[in-house]
Amino acid sequence: MRPGIRSYALIAICTFGTLTSIAPAAARIGSCTDPVVFGTTISATGQFSVNADRWVKMTQVFEEEINKRGGIKLAGCSGKSVPLKFVIYDDQSNPTNAVSLTEKLVTVDGVDVLVGPDWTPIGFPVSPIPDKHKIPDVLGNVSALQIFQRGFKYIFGAPTPSVFVWSDRYFDLLAKEVNPPKSIFFVVQDNLFTKDVVASAEKKAQQSGMKVVGNELFPADTKDFSSIVLRMKAANPDVIYISSFDAPALPLINQMRQLRVTAKSVHSVYATGKMIKAIGKNMEDITGVMQWLPSLTTPYSNLVKDVLEKSDVDWTDYLFTVGRLNAYIVMLQAIEKAGVVDREKIRDALAQNTFPSPVGDVKFGENGYAVMQAFSTQIQDGKIVAVGPQDQVSGRLRYPAPTWQ
Amino acid sequence: MSFSIFLQVLIGGLVLGSIYALVAFGLSLVYGVVRILNFSHGTVLVASAIAASVLFGAYAFNPLVITLLLIPPLMVLGYGFYVLLLDPLFRRSSAEMTVGTVLVTVGALLILSDLAAVLAGTSIRGIQVEGPLFVIGDVIVSATNLAIMLGIALLVFVIHYILRHTWLGCAIRAVTQDELGARICGVRSRTIRAATFAFSYAVVAVAAVFYAMSYPVDPYVGLSLTVKAFTVIVLGGIGNLPGSLAAGLFLGTAEAFTAFFAGTAWAPAVSILLLLVILVLLPRGALNRKWWRKWQTG
Repeated sequence: MRPGIRSYALIAICTFGTLTSIAPAAARIGSCTDPVVFGTTISATGQFSVNADRWVKMTQVFEEEINKRGGIKLAGCSGKSVPLKFVIYDDQSNPTNAVSLTEKLVTVDGVDVLVGPDWTPIGFPVSPIPDKHKIPDVLGNVSALQIFQRGFKYIFGAPTPSVFVWSDRYFDLLAKEVNPPKSIFFVVQDNLFTKDVVASAEKKAQQSGMKVVGNELFPADTKDFSSIVLRMKAANPDVIYISSFDAPALPLINQMRQLRVTAKSVHSVYATGKMIKAIGKNMEDITGVMQWLPSLTTPYSNLVKDVLEKSDVDWTDYLFTVGRLNAYIVMLQAIEKAGVVDREKIRDALAQNTFPSPVGDVKFGENGYAVMQAFSTQIQDGKIVAVGPQDQVSGRLRYPAPTWQ
Repeated sequence: MSFSIFLQVLIGGLVLGSIYALVAFGLSLVYGVVRILNFSHGTVLVASAIAASVLFGAYAFNPLVITLLLIPPLMVLGYGFYVLLLDPLFRRSSAEMTVGTVLVTVGALLILSDLAAVLAGTSIRGIQVEGPLFVIGDVIVSATNLAIMLGIALLVFVIHYILRHTWLGCAIRAVTQDELGARICGVRSRTIRAATFAFSYAVVAVAAVFYAMSYPVDPYVGLSLTVKAFTVIVLGGIGNLPGSLAAGLFLGTAEAFTAFFAGTAWAPAVSILLLLVILVLLPRGALNRKWWRKWQTG
């Protein structure tokens, strides 16, 4: 029996549906009416969400604020502005989820550009996707240089600060003191990021004339630090350098106080507001870094202030918050410089231009990596105070640290 | 190694070990009676610790008051969790029950972690109590740590008293030894299992406050605590509370001395190594069930 017209119609519908579902959605190249769509995954749940509290809300507020300010100006559309739109997925701090969701953003949602994800364990597996689909991606919080050394052309990283210069300004401040420190003791969480920071910090400390008198490694779930603290006391260093994420560092700092460790200066790679809330005055006089301060008048600082206020995100609590916003701001500027929603032109704009940002000028190197500095801070009277560089901030380093004597 | 350094490391290990034992108590009790490995145990503890931290931060309640406030709702939670989600699995085949309990408790772990993150945020929290330091020669002990160790000792005494001298305790021991025999004697085993869950969650409430006073918590550290608790109850004998206490203290001090002599990075390897040795040589636990029966029958 020959197939009837209904059968042919059914076959045609099925074929059409199959083809449209597997064909990647085309970017809205050259569109002057459609919103520009940023695709991103955020670790709203899972182990990394402790560093990304309320970032989904923050991103939605960022979208609203940009659109309130007129949207994205496209020179190629006779100066017309188009709105910004985000498509956000929760990667659940899971690299496998991040990969499949990023593929979905590109092939199903048809986003114009990508921003993020965050964190090296997630950034690594996601990093080949932009080149595969030739879609530019700016990563604000992925620090591992190895990601950018594989010849990819479409990923750009501006982790703030970069691991290679994380504490450079702190060591510069110490070198200017009347009695600069002569010895340093490192305590390092066993993690790729924290070890990378220490590798550079050790070199900088030695260049500053300090002798390394200890280097202790600990796993993230360590609770009892008495052995490390006893060795620290025996070494009697001038500087104690803690390279650890915030939660693992807290019992260490508490036990250092309990066992009456003394030093001229104690530096923590993380010295955030939530650590102050957790252990109070035990954080006093500890130095750290911050990428951005509300007192700055750098470009887009007012935008950042408004977004943080409206999304109820405390800038002091989460060290990487402004890095996330910075990625959005850099991508926005790249699209405006390209003048049109064209992925190739946006990629070229990212590669060739310098972007003013709240955390300083962002200029990507040939490998797509921008080296960014941060401000040195110290916790003084329970508050985070910027203490360096001294020509840019009003605060002054308390050295030797009074509460560590 | 001087004597003062030895003492200092020992104190650190005992504090750590007593926390391990405390975390393991509830799990040991549940497994001994109900024969369920509750994978959400650590997450319940962490969520309770977060609740305790929130109460402390908002109202500056005394930790003892916070403990008393947490016990009733946690007991209700434990009872309800067992009755609604786990008890129906006992009517299934053995394989279905085993797989089902794993699925339910792991599911509870995931849901509870994310619920805690949504309700309380993902910030690290704790109960920071300032107390004096006692200095004896070169050895320093904080009053908080002393209070925690004394509190745990008191808790062990209270649990022992309840299990030995109350009807509930006798019923729990009866169901552990011989469920059919207990039922013949009029003990409703289903009710006792639910009551055991409730009782273990009351222990979790105490453990949560002590834990929050000692270490920071966030919603996603629960599973690592459960794994550590498993190690302790395997070392000490499953269902053996004195064994869990001894095993916890032993594990804590072993980790502390390993960290001192070999480096902190090697400390977690100790618990794995001890686990392997005990499983091969003493599969019923270092303090095996003969001791537990002796302790139970007196």
